[in-house]
Amino acid sequence: MRLVMKFGGSSIASREGFKQACAIVEGHRKKGDLVAVVVSALGDTTDRLVEACDKAAGGDRKSVEAFLNSLQAEHMETCSWIAEEDARRKAEEAISAMIGELKEVLMGVAYIAEITPRVRDYVLSFGERLSAPLFKAALESEGLKSEWFTGKDAGIVTDSNFGNAKPLVELTLHQVKLRVGKPYSEGVIPVVSGFIGADQKGRITTLGRGGSDLTASLLGAALDADEVWLWTDVNGIMTADPKVEPSAKTISQLSYQEAMEMTFFGAKGIHPKAVEVAMDRGLPLRVKNTFNPEGPHTLITREAGVKTGFTAKAVSLIREVALITVGGAGLAGAPEVAAELFQILSEKRTNILMISQGSSEANISFAVSRDPVDELVSLLEMRLLGGKTVRQIDVEEDVCIVALVGAGMKGTPGIAARVFKAVAAEGVNIRMIAQGSSELNISFVVKREDGPKAVKALHREFKLGESS
Amino acid sequence: MRILLLGFGTVGQGFAKLISEAGLELLGSYGIRPRIVAVADRGGAAVNLRGLDVEKLLQTKRKAGTVAAYPDHGKPGVSGLKLVEEVPGEVVVEVTPTNIRDGEPGLSHIMAALKAGKHVVTANKGPMALAFQALMELAEYNRVTLRFSGCVGGGTPILDFAGKCLVGDRITSIKGILNGTTNYILTRMTDAKLSFDEALKEAQALGYAEADPAMDVDGWDSACKLVILANWVLERKVRLEDVEVKGIRNITPEEIEDALKRKSHVKLIAYADQDTLRVSPELIPLGHPLCVSGVLNAVCFTSQYAGEETVVGKGAGGAETASAILRDLINIKQAASR
Repeated sequence: MRLVMKFGGSSIASREGFKQACAIVEGHRKKGDLVAVVVSALGDTTDRLVEACDKAAGGDRKSVEAFLNSLQAEHMETCSWIAEEDARRKAEEAISAMIGELKEVLMGVAYIAEITPRVRDYVLSFGERLSAPLFKAALESEGLKSEWFTGKDAGIVTDSNFGNAKPLVELTLHQVKLRVGKPYSEGVIPVVSGFIGADQKGRITTLGRGGSDLTASLLGAALDADEVWLWTDVNGIMTADPKVEPSAKTISQLSYQEAMEMTFFGAKGIHPKAVEVAMDRGLPLRVKNTFNPEGPHTLITREAGVKTGFTAKAVSLIREVALITVGGAGLAGAPEVAAELFQILSEKRTNILMISQGSSEANISFAVSRDPVDELVSLLEMRLLGGKTVRQIDVEEDVCIVALVGAGMKGTPGIAARVFKAVAAEGVNIRMIAQGSSELNISFVVKREDGPKAVKALHREFKLGESS
Repeated sequence: MRILLLGFGTVGQGFAKLISEAGLELLGSYGIRPRIVAVADRGGAAVNLRGLDVEKLLQTKRKAGTVAAYPDHGKPGVSGLKLVEEVPGEVVVEVTPTNIRDGEPGLSHIMAALKAGKHVVTANKGPMALAFQALMELAEYNRVTLRFSGCVGGGTPILDFAGKCLVGDRITSIKGILNGTTNYILTRMTDAKLSFDEALKEAQALGYAEADPAMDVDGWDSACKLVILANWVLERKVRLEDVEVKGIRNITPEEIEDALKRKSHVKLIAYADQDTLRVSPELIPLGHPLCVSGVLNAVCFTSQYAGEETVVGKGAGGAETASAILRDLINIKQAASR
């Protein structure tokens, strides 16, 4: 089989995880499979790089230096566990050189006390860049042939939207095939740093949260892989967050559309663009557990694999949400207010999770991530309040979104009734409702403390624990 | 309109001649005042931001073998890639020789031009057959136009026929003779009862076939054109490696005779639909619109509503291909001034 395997940060955060990941690759390669590897940054390295950027921009050189020292020490230590002799020495050299480069960048930032999105991406790229030579060294220590690439060297080209760049897919596929295709076909294991690419002028960009999935999909498409396996630290995609609903089970099969609907499955979601790239080419994705490789996992293909009697596949809970309502009788028949509202949201680059407007047109509600909500609300007040149309802007910060997903819901009458009956039976009040016309997803907003209750109620009502 | 011309062989020279002869008419009818500000060939380049003299360019090429010897403005050893990156201009005309192994140097020229925000017109099949989708994506991203009419059919507007004349309809398959050299060879084998080798020698003597005829007789030239058509007309994401290719090297006089007995001719046919991508010799009944002789090309488009439409024309030649490049240039100008 021609395979691409991506190992997430949590998979390779520990010594055991790293060894396990290498053992998985080794096992498949020795069986005769061709394998290309995409690696994330070790553990929480990326979050700490973000922090280092802020420290550097604040001129705090001491913290930056301390961070660099610990970063180097950690990677060197991992290296000493997993690699031997020549391979280890080469990896150590690569790590030292990269830490040196990172130091120059961060010190430069500290010196001018300012960081641009472009420099931030450059700094963030180091997490993945550091883990690739480690993985190569580990494979070589097991007697396998390997070669490592940064996303840029592998040929991943993106637009210049630093921080959340989108790949130029066709160009990327062309270049990756040229650069990585040959070693891959010859049985060498290419190890590519995930999450990063470069714009057409060669400046490093990052692909946004979950970007390593996208790297894996792109690699899979470029290398004509039979399947792409995304290794995490859980048994595939679950019917619900097991911390909320202990009877949650692994979903054995999902369609690409369903997987995209589930993008917001906490932090475990797959990058939507990664699913799209796979979908366009019918490339199967598998989500597996590094620590339980033979255990249950999720297969994502064109087929939803809907079983009779099981209409929904999963219920997810999105926390840290704020619900904003813009109201005023004058809103009716005044589309320019809606235009202005969304203009503001777009200027602030606000990610809107849900939108709803009743047909009285007296108010528009929308749910956004709670993170920067204060600033957004002030801006809305400044720009919208005080005129004749908008009378009030309300914010509720103690809410969450519950979403029920499944291809079997499409065209099945009575789903919404079951959803709301089950939730009502728990005494949970629903604040806002949205269903896209794809009918793959019903989402609603409830009070924060009601979220887990609603999840449990739906999990039970739709027998999600039994369906897989 | 400032033009950078990469490649100064038959097509490049034909194009330079054409725009210098058509000068006034281009200005009057289309508002185009073309100036060739840079030319590159194997020996180097000539650059003059105020425009190079076409007559002098042709003369220099004839005498010295390279435009790098152009008086005062010659730059020996300077590459086309460097020109694209450094010389300002609106359009790059890429007509370096076709290379179907890696598309170079054309592929790098086109990519660099698009990245630099320059429109590109090319008659170079290699890059288009190897990286069609990648190049179109890069053009779209940089909001410039990439046109390639001269790649298929020379002066015969095969691509425009499919793209413009059949607009609104859905083309389901393409079948045609896309290579004049092989059609000449097969015609001579049929009409004059020549063997393949004799017909090939004759084609070479007449200048229809190259000294190394592999591109033509092994079907690769047809395959390149088929890939371009499949991407452009059928919207398939395919590359040269996806084509099943069989040439005409092994066609025997007996096969030609057998075909005649069945009231047919052997033709090198390129065929594409949503599932198939193939170049191979086939029998075409006498009287069928595709049964054309000599160096002619013919392409039959089957579309959902309009049925079968066939375009016939002379498929190659320096002046003919130059005319296709000029059409593309005019298109770019019209889109820009709309």
